[in-house]
Amino acid sequence: MEEKYAIDLEHVTRIYKRDEFEVRALDDVTVQIPAGRFVAIMGPSGSGKTTMLNLIAGIDHATSGRVAVGGDEITGMKERELAGWRARHIGLVFQFYNLIPVLTAFENVELPLLLTHLNKAERREHVETALKVVGLSDRMDHYPRQLSGGQEQRVAIARAIVADPTIIVADEPTGDLDAKSAEEILGLLVDMNRQFQKTIVMVTHDPRAERYVDTVYRLDKGVLAGVEPGKRGAPAEAAARG
Amino acid sequence: MKYTGLVLKNLVRSRRRTILTVLSIAVSLFIFSALVSIPTVANQILSDTASSTRIATHNKAGLAYAIPMAYKQRIETVPHVELVVAESWFGGVYHEVSDQFPNLAVDSERVDLMWPDWGISKEQFDQFKKIRTACLVGVETMKRFHLHVGQQIQLRGTIYPFNVTLNIVGTTGGKAPPNFLLFRRDYLEEAAGRPGFVDLMWVKADKPENVPQVMAAIDEGFANSSAETASESEAAFIGSFMDQYRTFFRMAELLGFIVVLMIGLVAANTAAMSIRERRGEIAVMRSIGFPARTILSMLLAESVLIGLAGGIIGCGSAYIVLKVFSVGSGAGPLSTIRMQPLIVAETLVVAVLIGLFSAMAPAGAAARRNIVDALRTVA
Repeated sequence: MEEKYAIDLEHVTRIYKRDEFEVRALDDVTVQIPAGRFVAIMGPSGSGKTTMLNLIAGIDHATSGRVAVGGDEITGMKERELAGWRARHIGLVFQFYNLIPVLTAFENVELPLLLTHLNKAERREHVETALKVVGLSDRMDHYPRQLSGGQEQRVAIARAIVADPTIIVADEPTGDLDAKSAEEILGLLVDMNRQFQKTIVMVTHDPRAERYVDTVYRLDKGVLAGVEPGKRGAPAEAAARG
Repeated sequence: MKYTGLVLKNLVRSRRRTILTVLSIAVSLFIFSALVSIPTVANQILSDTASSTRIATHNKAGLAYAIPMAYKQRIETVPHVELVVAESWFGGVYHEVSDQFPNLAVDSERVDLMWPDWGISKEQFDQFKKIRTACLVGVETMKRFHLHVGQQIQLRGTIYPFNVTLNIVGTTGGKAPPNFLLFRRDYLEEAAGRPGFVDLMWVKADKPENVPQVMAAIDEGFANSSAETASESEAAFIGSFMDQYRTFFRMAELLGFIVVLMIGLVAANTAAMSIRERRGEIAVMRSIGFPARTILSMLLAESVLIGLAGGIIGCGSAYIVLKVFSVGSGAGPLSTIRMQPLIVAETLVVAVLIGLFSAMAPAGAAARRNIVDALRTVA
């Protein structure tokens, strides 16, 4: 029986035009990620990790090839259609959290729900649950400036999961955090994956991330250089030795 | 409504900038609404004073030239003419040269029939008809010189080489010009040695629709005479006095629009700056799934609210200032200055347009910008 993939990239190429130059950010990449997995995309700077993530999140378009996410073919979708699709299927976590500074933690998490048909009471219930899951029930009325980096990233994760998306896409979620906070965030993502069976795709430079993921996809110069199993559950020292 | 909170939160993101932008729009719309209100004074005076059946007949060569008193009988015979009142400009001053106000000599017998809308009481008219030196004074002039009924005053002649001594028997009210003084023409005629000329004939037609016909008949009747006449409706006659101010009114309107345009550009710059600062946030919202159109609407709503707040403050202040100004002007011509509902509406529409157009371009660009490029600016 054919396995159902949460993410299916077939011969995907993405070329950017920078003035008179063409930059081949992704070159004929084919990747299939089964549903319910926690995977990392790793590689050096400029290897095409974020480009791949952007294509999966539907915020960028492939120059050629086919991108299907959550069973939906998104390659040919128009921007308006894609926006609705993103709201339903994608939860995004950024390196610099990207919370709206004038909104409280509660209001930041509520943002994606404004795009749904939920009423105010239902939205409140969802937001409170999401903030409870990330352990920030007591910080609901705090503004981003009143939170630590780790707490901001937790709020960002709550915002990513609040609308119950099919896939969580995280771009360097630990890139701006200290070691302790980074471990906490990675642990939280593992919980999301285990408890809620969310497919999580994470771009990272952080070698610690390998201990938390099922699979590591390595990119180099826009080409898929290898697929390795993660070292999920391995002790830190063993993971560091490889 | 779901997005109202978001719009309001963004409005207070930079309180000082929002307040300053609102105030700058308020000041410009204060100037705009006040300047645009000025021309309405002329229209208000016309609508307050002009009658649809009164005709002013004067010398075709201009108001500086008189017409023979004998014309009165001939005009009275023109079909559809109800009555004729002759008027002469005395042009006297009260004490000093600066103490000027319009003072006119009119036929006393039928003044009440010619100007029933002036609201002069029957008793006062009776006194006016009875006493040869009687005069009726506008409320503004009464106030200005602290005059009272029963007082005797003397007007120094500037056109005529003599003074007139007058007894105040009443005040004009209603729609009467508030600064006029009327006295009896027979008194002036006698003092002047009965020259047999007047400056103007006021003619009352029986119906408004007969006014053009009456005017034509009068002017045709005196064509090719030594003193040809020109007749015009009361509105046109008063309007011709306003003509000298038309250029000023146009200038005032133009200035108002220039101020609005200028502040529109300043608001556009502020909006562009504010939106540019939030490009990253806008990209994040779009990546979450907010459609570009929703984001554009929210940005425009913010800007329109700023414009509208400025409009309400500016227009409201102008309304109050003009009200205070008109009350302070007593019963003078400026007492009619007021902000018409149309100008209030016009100013608020301009406020909305300032908000809309100032943010249109930057908001449109930010809402359409490539998400990946915009996110890169945040990182």
